[in-house]
Parts: sequence; C-alpha cells; structure tokens
Amino acid sequence: MSAPSLEEVLRTRRVLVCVGAGGVGKTTLAAALAMRAAALGRSALVCTIDPARRLANALGLTWLGNAPTEVRPDVLAGAGITLAAPLQAMMLDLKASWDELIERQAPPGQRERILQNRFYQTLSTVLAGSQEYIALERLGQLRERSEVELIVLDTPPTAHALDFLDAPARILDFLDNEAARWLLDPALRASRLSLRLARWGGGVAARTIGRIIGGDTLEELATFLSAVSGMNEGFRQRARSVRALLSSPETGFILVAGASPERREEALGFEAVLGDRGLQRDGVVVNRVQEEPPASAESELAGLEEPLRGTLVRTLAETRALAERDRESVRVLREGMAPAPLIAVPRFSSEIHDLGALWRAGSYLLGEAVIL
Amino acid sequence: MSGLLDRRLLLVTGKGGVGKSTVAASLALRLASAGLRTLLCEVNAGRHLGQMLGHPEVGPDVTLVEPNLSMVDLEPDASMREYVLSKIRLERVYRAVFENRMVRYFLRFIPALAETVMLGKVMWHLRQWPDAPGGFDRIVLDLPATGHALTLLGVPQGLVTALPSGPMATEAGWMLDYLTDPVITAALLVSLPEELPVNETLELAGALRTRLSVRVGAVVLNQSVPSRFGKADRAALSGRPALTALVQAYEEDARRTEEALERLRSVDAPLVQLPRLVVPQLGRGELVALGDVLAEALR
Repeated sequence: MSAPSLEEVLRTRRVLVCVGAGGVGKTTLAAALAMRAAALGRSALVCTIDPARRLANALGLTWLGNAPTEVRPDVLAGAGITLAAPLQAMMLDLKASWDELIERQAPPGQRERILQNRFYQTLSTVLAGSQEYIALERLGQLRERSEVELIVLDTPPTAHALDFLDAPARILDFLDNEAARWLLDPALRASRLSLRLARWGGGVAARTIGRIIGGDTLEELATFLSAVSGMNEGFRQRARSVRALLSSPETGFILVAGASPERREEALGFEAVLGDRGLQRDGVVVNRVQEEPPASAESELAGLEEPLRGTLVRTLAETRALAERDRESVRVLREGMAPAPLIAVPRFSSEIHDLGALWRAGSYLLGEAVIL
Repeated sequence: MSGLLDRRLLLVTGKGGVGKSTVAASLALRLASAGLRTLLCEVNAGRHLGQMLGHPEVGPDVTLVEPNLSMVDLEPDASMREYVLSKIRLERVYRAVFENRMVRYFLRFIPALAETVMLGKVMWHLRQWPDAPGGFDRIVLDLPATGHALTLLGVPQGLVTALPSGPMATEAGWMLDYLTDPVITAALLVSLPEELPVNETLELAGALRTRLSVRVGAVVLNQSVPSRFGKADRAALSGRPALTALVQAYEEDARRTEEALERLRSVDAPLVQLPRLVVPQLGRGELVALGDVLAEALR
C-alpha cells in the first residue's frame, strides 16, 4: 500500500504537526499547508510559535494574540487567493499559556503562590521540554474546543529531537513521581516538609545537599511542591490526552528538513525517533532546495566578453554545485524516509513573507509543481 | 594577534542553524595553530564538533585532540559530579548522596543548577593560570542558540540577585566578574542574511549589553554573498533568459546580504562577513580558511 499524498493528508487529518530543527522554515510551510487545506475546502488553523514579523503581518497577526484570528478573505483576495473554507492563524505565547494553565488548574488559594515561585519560573521557561509540553498541551486544548477541521502546529525549535515527544512524560515525571509522593505524604503539612528533608538520611544527605545548593533553596522547593501537589491529577489527565492525540490516526507528522548535509543528518535522526514511537509520518518536506540552472545557460555564454563571462562561469559553477549537493540530500532523505512521500520545495528568490508566496510554496506541497 | 583574539574567553552564539559551531571550530583551530593552548567547549550538544574537525567524539572529559587544541562536551551530570567532588572531596559521600534517585530528582528542580555547574566548569578552566594544570590560553565556548545561551550566561547574575548568600551565590560572584570583564571575555554573534536570524542577533546584542553586561566583540554574518553584477552586466545579458535568471537569483542573495549588513551595523561591534561556501560537507580545509578570514578581520 502506498503512502497517501500530501493532498490526501490535508483532506483527512485533523491535526498535523510540523517538526524539524530551527531555521529550516517550519513556520512558513505550516502556514502554506493550512492555506492549502482551506483551499481544498477544510477549515484550517495554523498555530505558529515565532513567525517572522513580515509573515505574521501577512497572516494578519499583528499582536501576540494567543487566540485564533481569521485571515481576512479580502486580504487573501488582494493576493489573488480564494479559499473554499476559512483560514485562521494564531501565535502561541508559551509563557502566557503556562500561566493560563496554572490559573485554570490550581486551587484558588495557591495560584499566586505558584506563579510567584522561583521554581515555577524554572518549570515554565527553562526546564528541558517545558516549552514543548505547553505547545502540545495548548494543541490538545485547541483540538477539543476549536471547530476547525484541521489544525497545523508549528513546533518550537528543539535542541534535541527527543525533547518534543518526551515532553508530556517528562513534565509528569517531574511533578509526580515516587520522590515527590514521598515528600508530599498527605499526612505531613507543608510547613513540616523542610523538616522532613532535613532529617532524611540522618541529616547527612540534607546537610551535604545544603552545602552545595544552600538550605533555603531546599525549603523553597518544598513549598513549591506542596503548592502544585493538588494539580497533579489534572496534569496527568492532560498529559494522557495529549499523548493519545499524538498517536491517534487523526494526527500526522510532517518532517521539515533543510538540504545541507548537517540538516540532513538531523532530519534522519528525527525520522528514526518518530518511527520508534509508531507515530504517523505523513511526509518529508525538504525546504530551500537549489534548482539546477537550465542546460541552455552554458550555451548562452557564447559571445560574452571578459570579465563578465568569467564571473558568470564562476556563478554558474557555484549554483550547479549547490544544486548537486541538494539533489544528493534529497536522494538520501528520500531513501531514508520511505515510504513517506518526500517533497522538495525550491529556494525562492526572496523569503516567503506574503500570501502569494505561501500559495506558490503550496503548489509544490500538493504536487502541482515539482522539482526533483 | 591582537584585539578580539586576545580575549581569553570567546563566547559564540546566535539563532539555531546559523553556523555557530562552524565559527567556534574555525576560531579554535586558528588560535591553536598560532601556538595558543586552546579549549573548545560545546554545551551538551551531542559531540558533533569533533566529527567536524576530523577527530573522534569527545565527551565530558577535557581531551587533547591535536597540538594545542583540547575539546570537551559539557554535560550536566558529569559537571555536577565534578563540581560536587571539588566541594566534598569524598567519592563515597558523592555516590551515597548525589547518585540517590530521590536526590537526582530534587536536583532537577533547582533553578539554574545544571547551568551553574556547566558554566562553572568553563570558568574554572578560565581561572587557572594558562601554565597550571587545567589552564588554557584561550577558551572558545560554542553556546546553544539564543534563548538557551542567554539563560546559561544569565545564571551567575540571577543567582547573585536571587540568593545574596550561600554556596551557589559565592560561585556565581566570581563567575560574574570574569564574564563581565571586557578584557577577559567577548561574545561573537553569528547571523545569516535572513530576517529572523538578524532579528535574533539584534535582540541578543541588546540583551548581552543591557541585561548581562557582556561585551559583544564582533558580529559575524555567515554565508554572505557579495554583489557581482551591475546594471551594465544585466543589460549585456538581454536575450539570454537562463543567464538573466541566474544573475537575478544571485543578486537577490546579494541584496539580502546588504540588507542584513545594514541592520547589523546598528550593533556597536566590528562586523565580519564569512563567504557562502558550496561544498558537499564542511571539512577541516574550509574551517581553516574561515578561521583565516576571521583572524584577518578581527586583528
């Protein structure tokens, strides 16, 4: 059985997650996919993390909304685009999403204590996986509440590919494991947690740790854990439903890769991770692929004078070398990613910042135009 | 060599995918070949710098890979162990306490602990006299991308503010002195001729200056494309559609380079351009060539 084409994917999935390293153009391609889904008659929402300002402006995202906004049909029409269904866009504000989650889930008396705590700041900003977690958590929430038929999620750039998929498990483990349960034995009151820590291991352990990180820090940690302990069940449920959503047949992953050799290796590594987890790989998009100049270019050199001729020869050779390198990357990726369809999107002569350019990128995604 | 390359600690950062590691490795090679004992550090990066330089993987132990050049990939657990052992000196106590599952769990909670011990390791080497064991003439730190780099570099200041006393604050105090001393430390910000990387470079430069007081030593525009064709050249190509398209695409890249340079000039630091190299795989030869360009420009 052959894998479905991207068009088929856009017609059937309810969630598409665009994954890949930073700087390969995930945001742009996520927007192009959502636009094409809307053109095929499915209402779509593209959920971006950190779009280029000009792209955000093109989509009508002039402020960090953290809520879906419709891309206005008259703006689309101005770019010559008519969609068969509404297209929405939103920018995810990760910090605000964390704060909202706490406000929703925390017992009323604890909210401020949690939001002000130093450990919460770590949890919501720098703890590995926390950004990925909140993006997924927000995705789950949007999927439950939004009427749109397809949500396309652009993901935060990850230092390590694994962080993204492990995020729900890591956050859960963080808030809810054996050590936390021991610390948070309901028989103990919050005020006595630090006492319990201090006595643990005859006091040697606590004293030793205290020498390294400071005793106040331990006490503050105990306060934080007791404040969030009431939320664990809520977190567990959400993480479970996010995990279920990711592995559901309604959800597919689009791997966005760059054509340079380093980016190619990253993409292959990521593919392996998705495969190990049995997640649905709907396609690989290699972005910014250099097209081969036509063969007529060399014959057009006839009759030109130096130094222009020499400069042209050099430029032509460099462009051909770049095209050759990219063709090799596409070949390696196509082999490594089979049977998922691989689509090459060319380097456009300018960055994709307007709706017309998004539409053109989309024509490669749907196979209306093809390179390699 | 004088100027930027006299700084003992060179911090290299920028947006993901702009070529930070390429710049860091080029610099380190160049410094080592000038006879300076150099340490090239990555931060929990999966050890790919070694491969780039044609050496086997280097892990969390500082390893001499060729004359004058040592490498290390900083990892939180290994750095923690080293740090704790430097304080308590008893392997037995370390194992009993810090390898305990529950303690490891608590340690993950401690804000900035992983960053403190990793940065602390770099700073420890910086603090040694170059001739002393563990000392180096130069340290090149290949930092993570913008956000994580700022977190890492901001740790000493954060600790000094949040915990005016205690063991972590003491460590943070001297680390902060070294990081903010412009005679010792300078940051190189790597960028690309595209909108988002330039945005990040500008934000990064502002944050380093105002928030962290770290001197920006240079901005490096990687993959620069210099203009080659003027109006007259284009006119000479009329009736030649393939070459016209080639020139147009090339000059569009050159225009983007100009636009990036224009915006990057607002940073008060020397601006260096590295050429776009078209090779199947960046290797040692390219790194040496880029190192020469950097050294020449930063003289």
